[in-house]
Amino acid sequence: MDADDIDMFERGLRDVTGRTTGAALDAELDELGWDDALDDDEQSAVSLLFGLQGRAGATSSALSRLMTHALGLPGSSAEDVMTVLPAIGVTTPPGTLDGDRLRVDGLSPAGLADQASALVVASVGHGATTACRVATADLELRPVVGVDPDLGLLRVIGDVDGTGRRVDLPTGAWDAGIALGCLATGHELVGASRAMLDLACDHARERIQFDRPIASFQAVRHRLAEALVAVAMAEAMLDAAWLDPGPVSAAMAKSVAGHQARTASRHCQQVLAGIGFTVEHPFHRYVRRTLVLDSLFGTSASLATRLGNSIIDEGRLPPLLPL
Amino acid sequence: MNDRGAVGELDRFRRSLDDWLDAEATALAPTFVGAGDLDQQMTQLGKVKQLCFDAGWMRAGWPERVGGLGGTTLARAYLGEALTARDLVEPGLYSMTEVLAPTMIDYADPDLAAAMVPALLRGDETWCQGFSEPNTGSNLAALACRAERSESGWRVTGQKVWTSLAQYADRCVLLTRTGSVESAHRGITALFVDMDSPGITVRPIGTMHGSPEFSELFLDDVVVPYSRTLGEEGGGWAVAMDLLPYERSTSLWHRAAFLHRRLTELVDAAPPGALDPSRLGEVTQLLYAFRARSRATQHRMADGDRLGPETSIDKVLLATAEQAVFDLVADALAPEVTVGDDPVSARWRSEYLYSRAASIYGGSAEIQRNIIARRLLDLGHDR
Repeated sequence: MDADDIDMFERGLRDVTGRTTGAALDAELDELGWDDALDDDEQSAVSLLFGLQGRAGATSSALSRLMTHALGLPGSSAEDVMTVLPAIGVTTPPGTLDGDRLRVDGLSPAGLADQASALVVASVGHGATTACRVATADLELRPVVGVDPDLGLLRVIGDVDGTGRRVDLPTGAWDAGIALGCLATGHELVGASRAMLDLACDHARERIQFDRPIASFQAVRHRLAEALVAVAMAEAMLDAAWLDPGPVSAAMAKSVAGHQARTASRHCQQVLAGIGFTVEHPFHRYVRRTLVLDSLFGTSASLATRLGNSIIDEGRLPPLLPL
Repeated sequence: MNDRGAVGELDRFRRSLDDWLDAEATALAPTFVGAGDLDQQMTQLGKVKQLCFDAGWMRAGWPERVGGLGGTTLARAYLGEALTARDLVEPGLYSMTEVLAPTMIDYADPDLAAAMVPALLRGDETWCQGFSEPNTGSNLAALACRAERSESGWRVTGQKVWTSLAQYADRCVLLTRTGSVESAHRGITALFVDMDSPGITVRPIGTMHGSPEFSELFLDDVVVPYSRTLGEEGGGWAVAMDLLPYERSTSLWHRAAFLHRRLTELVDAAPPGALDPSRLGEVTQLLYAFRARSRATQHRMADGDRLGPETSIDKVLLATAEQAVFDLVADALAPEVTVGDDPVSARWRSEYLYSRAASIYGGSAEIQRNIIARRLLDLGHDR
C-alpha cells in the first residue's frame, strides 16, 4: 500500500472500530477487505487495525484470522478459517494429539461460534506441529466472563477424532503465528494505553481543585508524562520488531507493550482517581482489556523471565537491529 | 522510514568503516587497561578522532563547508556507535562534538564555522558548553553571567558551573545575559569564547565517580569580539533550545552502544546464579526499547526532521535504562563493585556511580517530565 492507500485504510478502520464491535465489526472488516490488506501489507494491516481496536475498546475475530494467515496453509484463507488461540498465559498450541484423539484447550474470539469449523494446531513433539480442521459442532465453546466480559472470549474445549483433516505445518510456522499474534496484541495494548492517557489528560485539564485544573500540579503532570514515556517505549519496540521480524523481537515487543500498558494504566488510574474507579466512566474497560491482553501469549513478566533465562543459557544478548 | 539511498549509503559506510577499524585496531587501541583516568581518556579521544578524521570517517555526515564530506548524518551516528562498541572512546566525552558542532554550523558566521569546526572534528581542539550557573540549574532562563557592550567587544563577567571538560577546552559556547535580568529568556546572547582569553579561570570539580569531568568557570571582564556572537544579540535562548535536542539524539545513540557493550560484558562476567533471570530480561528489554526509540530519532534526523521536545522521552529512557543496567551490575558483581581494586573492577564501580547522574545531567528527569507534560501532552502551564 502506498501512503495514500494507508491513509484511506486507516480512516476506514478508525470509523468502523469507533462505531462497531464484535460480529458487526467482523462484517465491516470483510467489507473493508482487511484480509486482502493483510496479504498485501502485513504491517499496516496489523498495526492499524489492532491499534485502533485497542483505542476504541472494540473486539473482533481478527486475531484468530491473523493466526491462520501466519500459518500459511494452502486453501485456508484468513477470511473463512479461524485458528484457535493458545490458552491464557502460554504460547503452546491449544491441541494435543494422544493416539487417535485430539484434545483441545484454547481460546477464541466470539466469532468462532458462527463458523462451521475451526483450525486447531497441535504439537506432535520436537517442536513439530500439525493443523487439524475440526467441526465447531464437535467442540465445546464456553463463554468466558472473567475480568473483561465485553471481550466476548470463548474457551474452546474438545476431545475429538484426531485422524481427520490434518496438514503438517512447516517448522517454525506456529512460532511465526505466535510472533504475529504478539505484535497484534502489542499494538492493541498500545491503543488501549493511548486511550487511557487521553481519558486521564482530559480529566486533568477539566477537573478543578484548589481553584485550578489538577493538570497544573506537578505530581499529576509527572504521572501523565510517565504514562506517555511508557506508550512511546512500547511503540518504539513494536516498530523495531517489524523491521526485524522473528519470535524473539516480537515477544520482547509484546512484553514491553504489556508491561508499559500496565504502567500507563496505573498512572492514569491515579490521575482519574474516584471517577475512574466507577463504571460511570469508561476507564475501567481499558484496565480490564489491558489485563487480558497482557496475559495472551504470555504475561509481560513471564516473557521477560523467559528472555532472561535464554540470555543466561546462550551467554549472549538478543541480536541488535542495526542502525 | 528512511529513503533507500541513505540506508544503502549507511551500509557501505558501515562495512568499510568496520574493515578499517579491524585493520587499524592496534593503532586505535588505548594504552591503558580499564577506564583509565580522565587525562588518559582525553588523550585517547584525541588520538582516535585524529586517526578517524584523517582517514575521512570523522568527516562523513558533516557539511562540506565545515570540512565535512556531506552525506547522511547516520554515518556520524554509526561512527560513534562503532567506536563505543569497541571501547575505543568514552561515549560521553566523544559525544560533545555531536552537541557543539551542529550549534556552530547553524549559528556561527559561516567563515568562523569553517575555520573552527574542523579542529573540533579532528580532535585538535576540545570545546565546552557554558550554560549552567550556580543559581541557574534547571531554570536556564534565569542565568546571570553578564556581557556588556564596549569598544573592544563584549566584556563578560560571571560564573558557570558543571561545564564539562572546561579544563581541557580551547573554546566555549557561552550563554550570557545581555538584556535586563527581568528580560528572562529574551535577554540572553550566545558567544563563542577562546578559553585562553585573559580573565578566565577554571576549577575542576571532584565527582563521586572519580573523574573530574566538569568544572567551575570564572569569567572576570573577559573580552569577546562581536564577530564571535552566535546568532542574534538577544537570540541566545533559540541557540540553547536548538542545542538541547542534540544532547538527546546522537549522543544517546552512542550511549546505547555503550550500555549494550556493558550488559554483554556483565552476562560474561557474572558468576553462575548471580543474575536474576527476570530482572535480566526486564533490563534487556528496557535497554532495547531505549535503543529502538533512539534509532528512530536518528532516522528522523537523517530525514531532515527538526528535533524538539519529543527527545525528552529519549532522555528519560536513557536514564531509566542506564540506571537499571548498573543496578543489575551492582547486584551481580557486588564484590567487584564494592571491594575490587583491579582496573576492571574500578571501571565497573566508576560507571555504576556515574549512572546515578543519568537522571540529573542534561536536564533532570523532572525537567524532562515537565517538558513532556507541557509540550507533548498539552497540559498547559504548571502554575
